[in-house]
Amino acid sequence: MIATLQWTTLAVCGIVTLARVPSALRGENRSLFAIFALMTLAILLSIDAPYLAVDQALGGMNIANLVLRFVIFAAIFFLGVRVARGFSADDALKLITGPVGIVVAAAASAVVVVVFLMMDTAGSSAGLVAVSAKDDRNAALVEFYGAAGRLYPGFITVALFPAMLRTLRSGLPVLVRSSAALLALGTVAISLSLLSPVIPPSLGFMRFFFNYSAVLCLVLGLSLIWLAKTLAKRAPKKQAGIT
Amino acid sequence: MPLPAKAFQFWLHRVAPSASTADLCRISGIKRTTFAQQLVRGKVAETTLVSISRALGLSPLAELGSFDQYAELAAPPQPPTPAELVSQVATMDLLRAVISRSSPAYGGYGDQGSSMTPALGPAPHATSVRNWVDAIDDGELRHRVSAATGVAPQNYSAQLTANRLSPELAVETARAAGVGFTGGLVATGLITEAEAGWTPGAKQAALDALSDGELSALAGDRLQALGKSLRRHEQEQAQTEKIWENLG
Repeated sequence: MIATLQWTTLAVCGIVTLARVPSALRGENRSLFAIFALMTLAILLSIDAPYLAVDQALGGMNIANLVLRFVIFAAIFFLGVRVARGFSADDALKLITGPVGIVVAAAASAVVVVVFLMMDTAGSSAGLVAVSAKDDRNAALVEFYGAAGRLYPGFITVALFPAMLRTLRSGLPVLVRSSAALLALGTVAISLSLLSPVIPPSLGFMRFFFNYSAVLCLVLGLSLIWLAKTLAKRAPKKQAGIT
Repeated sequence: MPLPAKAFQFWLHRVAPSASTADLCRISGIKRTTFAQQLVRGKVAETTLVSISRALGLSPLAELGSFDQYAELAAPPQPPTPAELVSQVATMDLLRAVISRSSPAYGGYGDQGSSMTPALGPAPHATSVRNWVDAIDDGELRHRVSAATGVAPQNYSAQLTANRLSPELAVETARAAGVGFTGGLVATGLITEAEAGWTPGAKQAALDALSDGELSALAGDRLQALGKSLRRHEQEQAQTEKIWENLG
């Protein structure tokens, strides 16, 4: 079931990215294409087989995992800025690009790098499962490392959360509100994934569930906006005028 | 609350004993799937009854009144108040009335109800439901309706904003306000003014009876409400464009 979720997420991200190629070539919203491409790369690197292949090429020291963290950071930062601008969430934009956001980004990056260096990372292993299994110290460090890696995405999405709720209650088109709902749901999933370290091993599948459903919600939410725009451009505009 | 299917079937048997479902749908213009679904679910919409009554040449109001839950409608209807009548005049017709009364220099005739003024449009108009409720509201009406029906005030408001009101709520609102039952049914477009028994010139007469001050103030209120709703719509449009620009 986990594998299905992983490959479904990868497929959805990949399809959306490919679908955006024409508009990116036309020069429309290239950064959005970059966000989708980065997300696809991140999903790719979180699945066993591709991860092992990439990491072997990088020296088998799990550097691919560190790369994955920063790919996620970059994608989520650009995404946060775009969404905040689009939804006129000035409060969120200030939080993300202001001093607070920079401090959080720097702190999360520093912790990720430091913890990574403290671990015995020899031997490629997706999700650092093998590293975690080495001994208790490494197991604890892997948990810290994961938590630090989720801290920044959590921060960005929580910053956007109020704006999503506002949009949800507004009178905007249904597709836009649905996408706000999906983005809000993604936020909830990311926030829940912060709890990963305290999820008992028997419920381990929940970790995967939170992680991948978060990405799925974000990608589908963004695609809905795109769909709404395409549909609206095709259909004649329904204007409420002076009657 | 829609009509129970069983009672509806009895009624159908009484008014059109020989007509098949297909016949009824054809003469009344109701989609067969919609009709079948309403019967299967056991809840027949009031609009279905009204359409069939019209097609059979029966009075929708009287036929609605033959059902237990709308029994009050069977009694001779209490005529609408002047305020209710004026509430069913479209905003643009109100503004035209203002101009009609102005001096000839501004395109008017300087009098009331000139024969040159075009006839009023039929009810319902774009904001007829809210205008009707405002016309009969003493300030506590919404609370009384909410208490009597259990419908939350924000849901009631949402219906008014969408220019909708279920027939049941329209009747309850009229009851809570102590006015005749036809006003709400006309304002929601369930029945026409003629079907409600309103005399043809009633709206025009109520409009003509307004003083210049009352008419101007009313037209001003309507324009303000229209401006508010158009502005909100424009803001939402701009917001949507912005979202599309950034994320589409």
